[in-house]
Amino acid sequence: MSRIYDFTLSLFAGVCGLLLIASVAVMLGFLVGQGGSVLGLKLIFGSTDFREIIDIILLRQVVINALWPALIGTFLLVFTALITALPLGLGVGVYLAEYAGKPAKVFFSLIFDLLAGVPSIVIGLFGFSVTIYLHSHFSDLMPCLLISGMSLALLVLPYLVRTTQSALEELPSALRVTSFALGAEKSSIILLVLLPQALPGIFSGIVLAIGRAAEDTAVIMLTGVVASAGIPRSIFDNYEALPFYIYHTASQFSNQHELQQGIGAALVLLIICTLLFTGAGLLRKKATHHFLYHSK
Amino acid sequence: MIPGRVVEIENLSFYYGAQRVLNNLSCGFAGHSICAVTGPSGSGKSTLLTTINRLWEEVDGARVEGVVKVLLDNMEIDLHESKIRLAQLRRKVGMVFQIPNPLPMSIYKNLTLPLRMAGIKNRDQQRQRVERVLQDAFLWPEVKMRLQSDARLLSGGQQQRLCIARAMILEPEILLLDEPTSSLDEGAVSEIENLLLNLKERCSLIMVSHDLEQVARIADSSVELVAGSLV
Repeated sequence: MSRIYDFTLSLFAGVCGLLLIASVAVMLGFLVGQGGSVLGLKLIFGSTDFREIIDIILLRQVVINALWPALIGTFLLVFTALITALPLGLGVGVYLAEYAGKPAKVFFSLIFDLLAGVPSIVIGLFGFSVTIYLHSHFSDLMPCLLISGMSLALLVLPYLVRTTQSALEELPSALRVTSFALGAEKSSIILLVLLPQALPGIFSGIVLAIGRAAEDTAVIMLTGVVASAGIPRSIFDNYEALPFYIYHTASQFSNQHELQQGIGAALVLLIICTLLFTGAGLLRKKATHHFLYHSK
Repeated sequence: MIPGRVVEIENLSFYYGAQRVLNNLSCGFAGHSICAVTGPSGSGKSTLLTTINRLWEEVDGARVEGVVKVLLDNMEIDLHESKIRLAQLRRKVGMVFQIPNPLPMSIYKNLTLPLRMAGIKNRDQQRQRVERVLQDAFLWPEVKMRLQSDARLLSGGQQQRLCIARAMILEPEILLLDEPTSSLDEGAVSEIENLLLNLKERCSLIMVSHDLEQVARIADSSVELVAGSLV
């Protein structure tokens, strides 16, 4: 009897895995089939001339009708969001795992679950409202890269808090007792023992956050992205971003080539996310090695 | 405090919640010797050790009554009265556990961790101290080429010698040992016993053991606990 259960369960699990892989494969296949042919330097820089590309990269030449500004915008956006959200997320995660009492934990957990459930369009509206308020009361602040980055930070904060908290809480309590017996203050246990051990968990949160910040459209649509803004000169400038480019193209394309370009942009976005994930993975390995094994 | 002693315990009772583990116990431990605490399992031996470095305070629901005095830097300190910082106390009163507990990091980082936590950041000084304690623990020849490898890859006996080296790196005056050889094979046991005999010159050792032959071999004195009371 139990053999039948075993077989059924493994079959079910296997089929589920296959279904998932198949659906991702179908989606990728569709994207590559439809937009693969436009992938190339022309799609990104609008030109294949090497000298022109160098000029574009060095900001000596403006790109029109290509992905380069959106690509840079997406990088800057992810960077701004992470810079803002990381210290906050790590801080709150450490507080919840190591310092908070039971009531505070329950309260904060509820708040962060709520925040995680807020639709991104609402976060976009919030960012927009804050900008309007600041604009009318204090300065001539307009929707811009900084506002978008900070709104996205709010969007990804729950992931960072949760993964940091659970990564710390899942560590064996023997680590703490051993460290206390060695004459450690709580702060040095957290900094020198627990956080380095929790790095894999923390980095999985960072990867989630990168993915979310890179692909979200609703938040940025209300807080500063513009279809043809070019490369922003500062964080107070408008900018372009790949997900918005895709959305914009999908809703307003006038010929087959434009649609292909949109699909090509989706492929570029996927490639960029893969690169960012790989980067985060490498950084995790490097950091773990540095904190736990390197002895210079 | 009676002259020659480094730990003096008076009327000590210890509770985990409602359960009484130590029962109005008084005893003392002499300096620069190996004092053994023996007794059956569950008699409160390990708990008695944790009252000397106050490690019991990290356990929820634990409570203590009575007096524990230790002699550190020739000053008598009443552990429940004085304002000594816990970290400071535990740097002076080291501890080695029953099951070797190297932290999941390199051998070198395991040893430098207490130094870094105590604010000793000079790299040369760290390196010198690491080499010295590893020499003292008879471990240097075995690990000098692999200081950067994971400490958990060492054998059980090597791990325990590493833990003793780690406990000694801040030069504590008292070293608490909670059945330090009970999880090891015979060869490793005799290596550790030799090591402990050597350490007597440098600090006072208080060792929980239920191996009476071991106590006869290396201990200078012993007390026996049964159900939380001295016999």
